[in-house]
Amino acid sequence: MTYILDDYALNSPLREKNNWLKIVITAFGIVVGVSSNSPVTPFVIALCMGIATIHFSKVPARFYLKILAAPAGFVLVSVVIIAFFSGTGGEVFGFDLWGHRLGVSTGGLNMALVVLARTISGMSCLFFLSLSTPMIELFSVLKATRFPDSFIEIAMMMYRYIFVFMEVAIGIKYAQTVRLGYKDFRTSFRSIGMLATSLFIRAWEQGEKLYVSMNSRCYDGRLILLEENRPVKRSEVALTSAYFILVLVVFYSTRNILLI
Amino acid sequence: MTILETRDLVYSYPDGTIALDNVSVRIDMGKKIAFVGRNGSGKSTLFLTLNGTLAPKKGEVLFHGEPVKYDAKSLRELRKNVGIVFQNSDDQLFAPSIYQDVAFGPTNLGYSREKVNSVVQSTLDYVGLNPLKKKPPHHLSGGQKKRVAIAGIVAMEPEVIILDEPLSNLDPVGADEVMDLLNELNYFGKTIIISTHDVDLAYRWADHVFIMTDHQMIGEGTPEDIFRNDELLQRANLRKPQILEVHEELRRRSLVKANGCPKDIPGLVRTLKEPELMWVKVSPDVKVGDSINLGLLHGEFALNYPMEAVNGKVLHIHEDCMAIVELSRHYVRAGSIMIYDTDHHDTDFLQLFIANGDVDTVGAMGKRSKLIAERDNIRLDITSGVIDRSILNALCGQRCLIITHGGMIYHAFERISHYIEESGINIHVDIINENGDISTLATACTGQMPCAGSSEEHSA
Repeated sequence: MTYILDDYALNSPLREKNNWLKIVITAFGIVVGVSSNSPVTPFVIALCMGIATIHFSKVPARFYLKILAAPAGFVLVSVVIIAFFSGTGGEVFGFDLWGHRLGVSTGGLNMALVVLARTISGMSCLFFLSLSTPMIELFSVLKATRFPDSFIEIAMMMYRYIFVFMEVAIGIKYAQTVRLGYKDFRTSFRSIGMLATSLFIRAWEQGEKLYVSMNSRCYDGRLILLEENRPVKRSEVALTSAYFILVLVVFYSTRNILLI
Repeated sequence: MTILETRDLVYSYPDGTIALDNVSVRIDMGKKIAFVGRNGSGKSTLFLTLNGTLAPKKGEVLFHGEPVKYDAKSLRELRKNVGIVFQNSDDQLFAPSIYQDVAFGPTNLGYSREKVNSVVQSTLDYVGLNPLKKKPPHHLSGGQKKRVAIAGIVAMEPEVIILDEPLSNLDPVGADEVMDLLNELNYFGKTIIISTHDVDLAYRWADHVFIMTDHQMIGEGTPEDIFRNDELLQRANLRKPQILEVHEELRRRSLVKANGCPKDIPGLVRTLKEPELMWVKVSPDVKVGDSINLGLLHGEFALNYPMEAVNGKVLHIHEDCMAIVELSRHYVRAGSIMIYDTDHHDTDFLQLFIANGDVDTVGAMGKRSKLIAERDNIRLDITSGVIDRSILNALCGQRCLIITHGGMIYHAFERISHYIEESGINIHVDIINENGDISTLATACTGQMPCAGSSEEHSA
């Protein structure tokens, strides 16, 4: 069985905590991280969120680093480009390439570091939310924010049927593989086409069946949401406030500090 | 009393293929009905006309004797009372969590929030899935999904529950749990209709069977009549239930009594004949055909058990009052079956009872009771076909405990007393943790036991 983000969220101990608290923590991290001029604050945020996710949410560290590696890879590439091609100031180091001077300026290096830090902190904030709050819980948050009902309902059904179709797709892919459907590039292309076709038809049929089964239960345009009252505990408020104060202090004291 | 009825129903799909060809059925209230036929014989289409999803081309559907109307309000009323559980649970479970899915029907019926909550809670408790209520359906096994699907229908409190192939893709234990649930629902007065191509299931479970083939209804009746009708089965491309086939083979070799139509293994065992002849000296007034009591035999005369009560039927009387007698042997101490009700569960009592009560086998029926047994570390010897196997074990002199709850207690009682009534072998049945209403039921059920037959055999 493939384990995806949502599966970790469903089993996370933080699932039982107040959804709004988690959203506020996430939003705070993103806003402060992005508005910081120095790379220090975002790094602190990323560190805190990482610890929270691994320690409180019980996500295996290996898995966490693996999913963080994907955006980190993209960022590192862009960071190198930003460092070389932007910013002003004294040259930190440089070399000649076929008569062109390529160099990294202090401004460029600072900019690159800030971009790196902001991205990592933003991602770790989002991972904190998505690894502790399954979609099921987010639907009731959407409802509370006055999202249109039909939008939420469609989203809920989409969520549910993603898994149904994923299972079908894995089944078909397996059936194709055992009959050598992916032995070379050409056949892979054909197989993936057939997979998409049959998945499309399945989705269509599923829609019809869904309509019949919903009607059989007197569907009249209302789905209930799983809402639970989860008061925020004092210890949670204390920890969150401590985190907020720490980040704000770091934010204030490092506002003009650049690494170089 | 008829609850659902169709008259000369004709339905064809938009492309002209006929799906139902003059189908007329009458379904009685409170019965267990099975529609049997091969895949594509029209069962599913018929079911969709029964709750108004498909409107027939000709003919009509009647619910409580009233023709079904196809306006929104009447359909709503019909669908509230006729619930369908679809073959593939994934077609039906569309909400992101179990709770939401079961709440779907009650919400649509316009219940208040509190009422929805209490109905959903009690239904989830009933099917033993409360601990999973916040999970998404894709984290469940096939059997669990099926029980959620049934719970979604039960929560709407319909009068009729229709299940399309309820046991497809289920493992034997999951299948058993679903069938236990259906029996319990039926006991509380719901009319249960299933479609199946499993003749063994239909034969063993149903009160009334309909046979469909090529979109037509070709036969109906009690399972005993239907499944002994070779010509009908051949027309429907169905095979005979295995138990009947075994019984027939045994009968050909004259190993079983001639009449009788066993539905399960205890029934089959009961029909077995023990042809054994013996010279016996009888008193002069005994005539051919009389039954005589030969008393208790033990030691080398008791063939199968430590003590046997032996009765004989006089076949022929010779000179000097010597007669040829056909013997029938019965085990003297049939075991007993004790039923434990987990609705009044007391861990210490149960464990003490099992430890001290000389219990040979323990069986559990129903998901909730199995969970309780698992939680309390009670070793279960029987988890499927519990009633049948307990009867068989009791016949061999064992003391059997069945751990169960709710309507399944009534069901177990009924099955066992039915067996006692038919076989004349007295198995002692008791509920060990009695409370008021159940003990009255216990006496009511045991009171039905025919003591006449058993007392003469068990002269000991």
